[in-house]
Amino acid sequence: MSALRHWAVFLCFCSSLVGFSGVGQAVRADDAAELAVRIDRHLESRWKSDGIKSAAAADDGEFLRRVSLHITGTIPTVSESRKFLRDDSAGKRAVLVAELLESPQYLTNFSNFWRQVMMPEGNTDLQARAQLPGFEAWLRQHLSKNSRYDVIVRELLTVPLDTGRAMASPVDGMGTATPLGFFQSKQVKPENLAAATSRMFLGLRIECAQCHDHPQDVWKRQQFWEYAAFFAGIERVDRNEEFVGRVKEIFDRRELKIPDLDGDRVVQATFLDGSSPQWRTRVSSRRELADWITSKKNPFFARTTVNRLWAHLFGVGFVNPVDDFSGTNKPSHPELLDEIAADFAEHNFDLKYLIRAITLTRAYQLSSRRSDSSQDQPQQFARMTVQGLTGEQLFDSLATAVGFFEPARQQNAFVFGQAGPRTDFLELFAPDNNAVTERQTSILQALALMNGEFTSNATSLERSSTLAAIAEFPLMKDSDRIEAMYLAALTRKPRAEELERLTKYVDAGGPSKNSKAALADIFWALLNSSEFLFNH
Amino acid sequence: MTNSFSRREMLRLSACGAFGASMSRWLPAFADEAAKSPARRKSVILLWMTGGPPQTDTFDMKPGHVNGGQFKPIDTSVPGIQVCEHLPGVAKLMEHCVPIRSMSTKEGDHTRGTYLMRTGNLPTGPIHYPTMGSLLSKELGAETADLPNFVAVAPYTQFSPGAYGPGFLGPRYAPLVVGDGNRVGPGAAGMNYDQSLGVKNLELTAGINNYRADARLALLGDLEADFVSQRPGLVADSHREAYAAAVRMMRSEAVKAFQLDSEPDKLRDAYGRNQFGQACLLARRLVERGVPFVEVSLNGVANNQTFAWDTHQQNFTAVKGLLGVLDPAWATLMSDLKDRGLLDSTLIVWMGEFGRTPKINPQTGRDHFPAAWTTVLAGGGIKGGQVVGKTSGDGMKVDDRPVSVQDLFSTMCHVLGLDPMKQNLSNVGRPIRLADPTSKPISEIL
Repeated sequence: MSALRHWAVFLCFCSSLVGFSGVGQAVRADDAAELAVRIDRHLESRWKSDGIKSAAAADDGEFLRRVSLHITGTIPTVSESRKFLRDDSAGKRAVLVAELLESPQYLTNFSNFWRQVMMPEGNTDLQARAQLPGFEAWLRQHLSKNSRYDVIVRELLTVPLDTGRAMASPVDGMGTATPLGFFQSKQVKPENLAAATSRMFLGLRIECAQCHDHPQDVWKRQQFWEYAAFFAGIERVDRNEEFVGRVKEIFDRRELKIPDLDGDRVVQATFLDGSSPQWRTRVSSRRELADWITSKKNPFFARTTVNRLWAHLFGVGFVNPVDDFSGTNKPSHPELLDEIAADFAEHNFDLKYLIRAITLTRAYQLSSRRSDSSQDQPQQFARMTVQGLTGEQLFDSLATAVGFFEPARQQNAFVFGQAGPRTDFLELFAPDNNAVTERQTSILQALALMNGEFTSNATSLERSSTLAAIAEFPLMKDSDRIEAMYLAALTRKPRAEELERLTKYVDAGGPSKNSKAALADIFWALLNSSEFLFNH
Repeated sequence: MTNSFSRREMLRLSACGAFGASMSRWLPAFADEAAKSPARRKSVILLWMTGGPPQTDTFDMKPGHVNGGQFKPIDTSVPGIQVCEHLPGVAKLMEHCVPIRSMSTKEGDHTRGTYLMRTGNLPTGPIHYPTMGSLLSKELGAETADLPNFVAVAPYTQFSPGAYGPGFLGPRYAPLVVGDGNRVGPGAAGMNYDQSLGVKNLELTAGINNYRADARLALLGDLEADFVSQRPGLVADSHREAYAAAVRMMRSEAVKAFQLDSEPDKLRDAYGRNQFGQACLLARRLVERGVPFVEVSLNGVANNQTFAWDTHQQNFTAVKGLLGVLDPAWATLMSDLKDRGLLDSTLIVWMGEFGRTPKINPQTGRDHFPAAWTTVLAGGGIKGGQVVGKTSGDGMKVDDRPVSVQDLFSTMCHVLGLDPMKQNLSNVGRPIRLADPTSKPISEIL
């Protein structure tokens, strides 16, 4: 099937589903709950036909910890945990999600999340790193207004580049909110921008077609360069090898030569579905592309976004890797994905709405405990996956658990010459590029967690505020102290047999014959445990 | 199961205690055995020249040409091969070395060039290529060795952090990093090398003795048993493996490789009393204990004002200083390995991210130059004492036998007895070979 037909068929299929009449409709609070019900109905009918027995429901502690890590990037404090566990109102989980989405940690966590999506180069490239503070500040501004996702992406794609000054030098304009770093990190090259935007916003990896017709897929080399031609007007003024420098843009230039091809074939800017916009003079072709990408009629935009957030919350997407939609990599639940995508578009690409809906599903609220072997297929979503934490999540969770507050925390830990426990952690626990459900632990990470300064302080009676408070508070029984440590680290109370075993350990004082030291030993074990170090 | 893990580790602890006393007599015998063992796989020591060293001032001299600069060539142990006068030690061991004078790449930017030379690939799109050490140590190493299979000494990762990591292979193949590499300027020589060359966080927290450490591991074992039995899978398995390996290393005798003060003063002096020299000595000690990949970075020397090899100004002053550190360290490394019978099983690779312009700029500096430059292979059983490739009289282009980074990777695979067509699954689900199928090994040195 040709790419054009493929796309056209898709468009027809989707527009019949979506029904584009509801533009501008206000989001009602129970729409999210209603979508959650539809999602569950869909998953459950699949479980039934595939003979899957789903896991038990997650208890309150499991849910609280999980959803806090996903939305705010950190575990809850002891007092937050106690409050939530004590609360017996029926709708408390929905209330919690709504509260977490309004917290400042949501902004920090998700500006980091979207930055990883849009500027992954920041993890590895020195020049891109310098752009992170400005880029994350820009994202944060949008997230704090809960800007529509299509609006964020459109602004990103159409930001004026010809600012009359150098676009990016490591020291220039650091921290000013701007999405310019996106272009700089792609070296303002049409081919890099084409590859990045199609992958990030459409889930289409057309970059292989940059050099040759894609072997397994429908994308042709010509299509890649036609898409890249939307960025053809961007031109570097300074031809410095090392930095992008000043950039100008010729709005009416919409054609590009395919490099290294005999006979100088020149292609015109054309959308991936084969259509072209109604060109307007003196309007950047990037505007046309941005409108097309973020259109409600473009099924790939909403689907990719839904798939990304689903994968963030479940550890696995309907399509994996999340940005690789292709004929040979079909979604696990195509109809469900389309239904959620259509609903997301209809709700004006409201990211918080989508997160609310997904976290309200029974599927999201299943335990990670395996009760049946049929739950081992992660893409059935019949049991919560065990997910590795990012360096940020881990550090912030440790800080929460041990009561550590870093003075004057820097917005961006990667700025030159800054050091501190958080920077060290982020270096050590830098993303390993594996899916979160396949995250691996390194020896240096293990050594740092076992013997490192941070853990040593956290488990020191002199230096750890949590441990000191628990160990020194006069009116607590040992069992209460153990419970408090469990709440601090694992967001749950110890089970009866754990409590019995550990109370004995504290009574005997462990090898030190000292009950306070024994409490420190327990805290050490809790902080080094898989249950603490992963989301589940 | 997890309980038995901690018990096993306790047994290991007592076994190690028994060995401790006889350490000094045990070591030389250990080295002999390592050399004789037929099953021994080869090792690699990568001498990484951060910033890009100048070929025309080292192994591809251009005497008589204006681009040749201030240094004079000297004869080596191999008739017909000349090198820079500031490499007298390496010159005497030229029969083990192969300068590849026709390296030709396309990246003159530090970030991208570093990525290219260290991973074999340009940074393109979503694929996170592993650094050479991760890639090769995965093939050469044993999963349950006492020491990690990949040790990196003082890497300067700031140019291109992705070029120093395990990429899609994952943290299991990440290097154990020691030494202080990320400081630039005069401090880059790492004056405090004795301390910084040790493994971070290897010691138990102050006040925690072995009994208490075991008690803690037992508590952890209980927690793990509960959690993991109900949530089997890769993430939890990897956690257990990493902790087991970390404990193994903490309690292993082999970790004494990092204690350089057990070496004779005379030998330490010969390597050079600086971070790079002592790191080369550490590399030998690690290879001797079976570590398959060690990389040592030369990021700068005391009193040099330029950053590492990035000699855009005052090239000759800076390079003379750098060679003054490089030559004794590298030459002693080769002779030390040779004395222990380990040179034929240890491939030494000398390179940076690119070469430097043959033309000398107005600041008496040399700029970035990827078109025609030199890397050197030594040891590892290669046919040493020959030169590969040739550049033009002015050094501006390759006249004969251009070698690409993939050709170099392929050559290394052959030297190490690895199949360059072996595949790893990348993070995008596409299999990636150790070396590109279009690459050609430098067969004349094999």
